Amino acid sequence: MTISRREFVRLTAGAGALAAFGQLGRTTAMAAPSGSYRAMVGIFLFGGNDGWNMVIPTDARHATYLASRGSVGIKAPALTALTNTTYALHPAMSALRPVWDEGGLALVLNAGTLFAPLTKDTYRSRADLRPSNLMSHADEQAHWQGLRAREFNVDGFMGRLSDRAGASATPSMISLGGSNLATIGKTSSALVLPSTGTLGRNGFSGASGAANLAKNAAVDAFANGASYGIMTEATARDVTGAYGQANTANGILTATSAVDGYFVNPDTGAALTSDVARQLMRVARMIEARGTLGHNRQTFFVSQGGFDNHSGQVGGGNNDTGTHATLLRDLAMALAGFYKAMRAIGLAENVTAFTMSDFGRTFKGNAQNGTDHAWGSNHLVVGGNVTPGGIFGAYPDPVLGGANDIASDGRFVPAVSQEEYIGAIARWHGVADADMPYVFPNWGTWSGGGRGPLGLFRA
Amino acid sequence: MIRFKQGLVLSAATALALLSGCDGGGGGGSSAGDTGGVVTPAPTPTAVAFTDGDAARLAKQATFGPTPALVARIKEVGVNAWLDEQFAATGSSYADIAAGEVRRDFCASGDAVCARAHFSRTPVAMRFYADAVMGQDQLRQRVALALGQLIVASEQEVNSAAGIAALNQIFLANAFGNYRDILAQVTMLGYMGDYLDMADSNKSAPSENYARELLQLFSMGPDQLNLDGTPVLDATGARVPTYTPDDIKAVARALTGWTYARVGGAATSDGNARDYSKPMIAVPARYDTTAKTFLGISVPAGAAQDASVAAVVDAAFNNASTAPYIAKFLIGQLVTPNPTPAYVGRVAAAFANNGSGVRGDLKAVVRAILSDAEARGAPGPNAGKVKEPILLMTALARAIGFSTDGYVFVTRDGGLGQPVMRAPSVFNFYPPDYPLPGSATLKSPASKLLNTSNVLRWHNFVYDWTIGGDATRAEFAVDSGLPMSSLTQPQWAGWEAFGADLDGMVARINLLLFANTLTQPQKDALKAAATPITNTDVLVQARKRAQMMLYVAGSSPLFLVDR
Repeated sequence: MTISRREFVRLTAGAGALAAFGQLGRTTAMAAPSGSYRAMVGIFLFGGNDGWNMVIPTDARHATYLASRGSVGIKAPALTALTNTTYALHPAMSALRPVWDEGGLALVLNAGTLFAPLTKDTYRSRADLRPSNLMSHADEQAHWQGLRAREFNVDGFMGRLSDRAGASATPSMISLGGSNLATIGKTSSALVLPSTGTLGRNGFSGASGAANLAKNAAVDAFANGASYGIMTEATARDVTGAYGQANTANGILTATSAVDGYFVNPDTGAALTSDVARQLMRVARMIEARGTLGHNRQTFFVSQGGFDNHSGQVGGGNNDTGTHATLLRDLAMALAGFYKAMRAIGLAENVTAFTMSDFGRTFKGNAQNGTDHAWGSNHLVVGGNVTPGGIFGAYPDPVLGGANDIASDGRFVPAVSQEEYIGAIARWHGVADADMPYVFPNWGTWSGGGRGPLGLFRA
Repeated sequence: MIRFKQGLVLSAATALALLSGCDGGGGGGSSAGDTGGVVTPAPTPTAVAFTDGDAARLAKQATFGPTPALVARIKEVGVNAWLDEQFAATGSSYADIAAGEVRRDFCASGDAVCARAHFSRTPVAMRFYADAVMGQDQLRQRVALALGQLIVASEQEVNSAAGIAALNQIFLANAFGNYRDILAQVTMLGYMGDYLDMADSNKSAPSENYARELLQLFSMGPDQLNLDGTPVLDATGARVPTYTPDDIKAVARALTGWTYARVGGAATSDGNARDYSKPMIAVPARYDTTAKTFLGISVPAGAAQDASVAAVVDAAFNNASTAPYIAKFLIGQLVTPNPTPAYVGRVAAAFANNGSGVRGDLKAVVRAILSDAEARGAPGPNAGKVKEPILLMTALARAIGFSTDGYVFVTRDGGLGQPVMRAPSVFNFYPPDYPLPGSATLKSPASKLLNTSNVLRWHNFVYDWTIGGDATRAEFAVDSGLPMSSLTQPQWAGWEAFGADLDGMVARINLLLFANTLTQPQKDALKAAATPITNTDVLVQARKRAQMMLYVAGSSPLFLVDR
C-alpha cells in the first residue's frame, strides 16, 4: 500500500508539470455520511521537531543518512523497526510499534509549508513562490496553522473548519494546548481546557438570597463592555462565554473515566505524566462525552513544546538519548495510549491524530549535538482509519547539497504541502468540497494542480 | 541633580519639536515647555488641566498599577515632570543575586531549598514582584519588563538564579539608556549564551540560533519596515525580508568562539562551574577567522573576535527597520497593541534620533511613547490593551495596598499563564501580533492567554485576593522552606478607614481600577452589592464591603482592558 510521491519533487510549476500532477490523480476521500462521528486531533510539536530522527530509512540510504547527519545521526541497531517497510522510528518510540503492526499508523515524509509546488531550482529562481520568512519559528507556526504561506494570518484552519461546522452550546473545537492561531475562526472560537486541574468558579452562585442577587447584578453590570470600544467588547464576550463553557466541561473533567487507564507506560504500567499525555487523556474524555456535548464532529488542538534543540538534541555516543529522545518517548507513549483508549471505546476508526511542527531541522548536525532551523520534515498520522502501512510523500535525497537540499546543510524543499496533508484529514473529517477553499485558502493551487489530498485513509 | 534634570528637559523638548506631526498633547497638557521655563524663547503654553482620571490612565500605562499617592503625584506635576522624576529614580536591582553564581554541583542532592535559591527564578521573581508592588522606580521597572518580554531568555531552559538576575539587571540598568548597550550586553551574557546556544558555538559547525533570533526578534524583525512600522512592499506587493539565510550563516560564523566564564576562574573544561551571570570569554581556537559579509557589511579575515561581535551588534542596531520594530513593540507593551502608523513613526523617529543626534536613546523613546497625543488623548474605538496576568496581579495588589516579599506572586503567576522570567520559548508568552479573536485587523497579544481555562483561573485569583483576601489567608504566610521569604500582607486599613462611607470606597475603586470611567449604574451596582454586608465591627464591615466591591470590579472585563 505504500504510495510514493517522490515524482513530485522533480516537477516544476510549469504547464507540463501540471499535466504530470494530473496523472497521479486525487484521493477519493469524501465527506463522511452524516450521523457517523469523527474527530481530528492535531498535535503541534512546538520549536521545530527533527522529523529526520523520528522516521529514519533503514535501507542503503541509512549509511548516507549517518554520513550526512554527522553529530546527531542514530545508528541502525537501536532503531524501532517497522515491519514491511524500509523506514524505522526513533529508538525511543517503541510504544508505537504495536500501533503500526495493527495498521493504525501512517507516515508522511518531507511535508512542509508551501505556497506552490517547488523544486530546488524553482526555489532558487522564484522568490515570489516561497513562503515568507522561512525558518522563522513564529512565521512558520503561523503558516502551518493559518495556511496562508505568504500573508499575515489572522485565523487558522481549525477555526475556519469550525466556522463551517455550525455552532453548538459547547464548542466542538477544543484545545488542550492553550490558545493558538489554529483555533481562531472568523466567527468561532475554541473551548480551551487545562491539561490538569478543574474549572470551578469560586464565589459565584445561583442562590436566591438578596445579597447574592445584588452581587450577581453587580457582576452583570460590569460584564458588558459594549460602550468601551471593540477591545473591551470582544474581551467581555470571551470572558462571559468562558464561564458557560467551563461549567459544562468541568463536569466531564471531574467525573471518573475508564479511558484514563490506557495512558500508561507499556513497559512499567505506570501512569503517564507528560503534558502531552495529560492533554490526550483529556481529549479522550471529551470524545467519550461527545453525546453529552451534542458533538457529531470534534476538532482538537494539542501541543508539545521543547523541540528547538540547537544543542544537546542527542546525548552523544550512540545518539539515542538526549532531549529529543525524551520528547519523542513522551509523544509515542501518549499517542499509543490514546489509540488504545479510542479502540477501547470503539472509536479507533472515527478518530485521527496527526502531528504538525514549525519546520524540520537541518539534516546536518552542528558542533553542539544539535540542529538548526530548516523546512520539510516527517510526520505521523495515528488512527484506525488510516491506510495500513501507509507511507506518503517522499523521503528526500539525504546527500547534503543533493537534489532536494536548498543549501548545503540539509534544508529540504518539502515534497508535500500542508494542504495535501492536512487537507486529506479535513476531507475525511467531513469538510465539503465547496468549503475546502474557505478552510484552505490556497486550496485551488493544490487541487486544481492535480495534487489533491494524500490518500491517507482506507477507502 | 537640578541641572541634570534641566538638561533632560532640554533635549526632550528638542526631540518633541523635531517630531513634526505631533499635534498637541491631547489631554496630557504638559508639553515640554511646562517645566522648561528656563529654556526660554518659546512661548509658555497654557497648562491643560490634568484630571485624576488622566493621571490614573498614565499610571496604568507606565507603572504596575495606580495607587492613591501615585495618581496624586502625577496629577500634581504633569507628564513630563513626572517622567523626569521616574528617569532619575532607581532602587530596584538584581545585582546582589547576580553576584551569587555557584557551581552546578553546589547544592547537596535533594536540598530543595538550596536548589530554589540558586537554580530557579524564585529569588529573582520574588524581587521583581516585591519591587513592582512597592518600589518607587515604577517606570524603570515597567520598561525593564517590556525589554524582558522582547529579549527573552527563560528559566524553562536555563535555571541559574544568578544568570536570570544578570539578564534582568541589564534591562533595569539600561531601561533609560541606549538600546545598543542592551544588545551588546545581552549578546555576550553567559545566560543568553546558553539559552540561544552562542556559547560553545564552534567554527566547525556554527549554531545559527542566536544569530537568527538577534535579528528576527531582538532588533530588526523579519520584514523590512518603513519608519512608521508598516511593511516595505516590493513591486508585486510582497513583504521584503530584512535578511537572507546567507546573512544568518555569516552572522553565526562571526559569533563563534565563545564559552562561559567559569566560577572562580575554573578551567573551561569544567562544565559544573559555568558562570551564567558573566560575559562569555573567548576560545580563539573555535573562532572562525575567515572574512564574513552580512547585512551589507564586511568583516575582514583575521578580525578580532570582539570586533566581529561588535560588527554584528552594530548591523542589528543600525538597521533601518530596528527603530520602527522596537518602537512598535514598546508602544504595544506600554500603551496599545494597535498604534496608528503615525504614532509608531513619531516614536521610531525618537529612536533614530533623540534630538541630539543619538540613536537608540530609550529615554527619548519612552518619553515619545507616553507623551504622545495617542497615549494622552481621549481613547478611540480601537483603544485598549488586555492586562496580562503579571499586570493583573500587580495592579490588584497595588489597588488594595500590599506589602510583600513577592513570594505569593511567584506561586501564582504560572497558574495564571505568565510565570515571569519563565517564558515557554524565546517567543515569550504571546506573539506581539496575536489577533484579537473575531477581528480581522486588531491585535491583542495578551488575549492569547485569555481562554476558557485561564479566564476561570484569573477570576478565582481575584476572588481569592479580594473576598478571600484577609491578612490571615494561608498563602500570605511565611514559607518556612524559603530562607528569603518574609511575608505578604494586604493593607486593608486604608479601606477600613472609609468606615461607612461607601461612596468614598466606590470613588477609590473607580479611580484606581477604571481611571474614573464607570457609569452611574455601575457605581450604584457596586454599592448595592456591598450594602447587604454588615458587621457590628465597623472596620470589619468596611473591609468586607471593600472586598466584595473589589471582587466585582477586579474580576470584570472592564478591569481586564486598559484604555
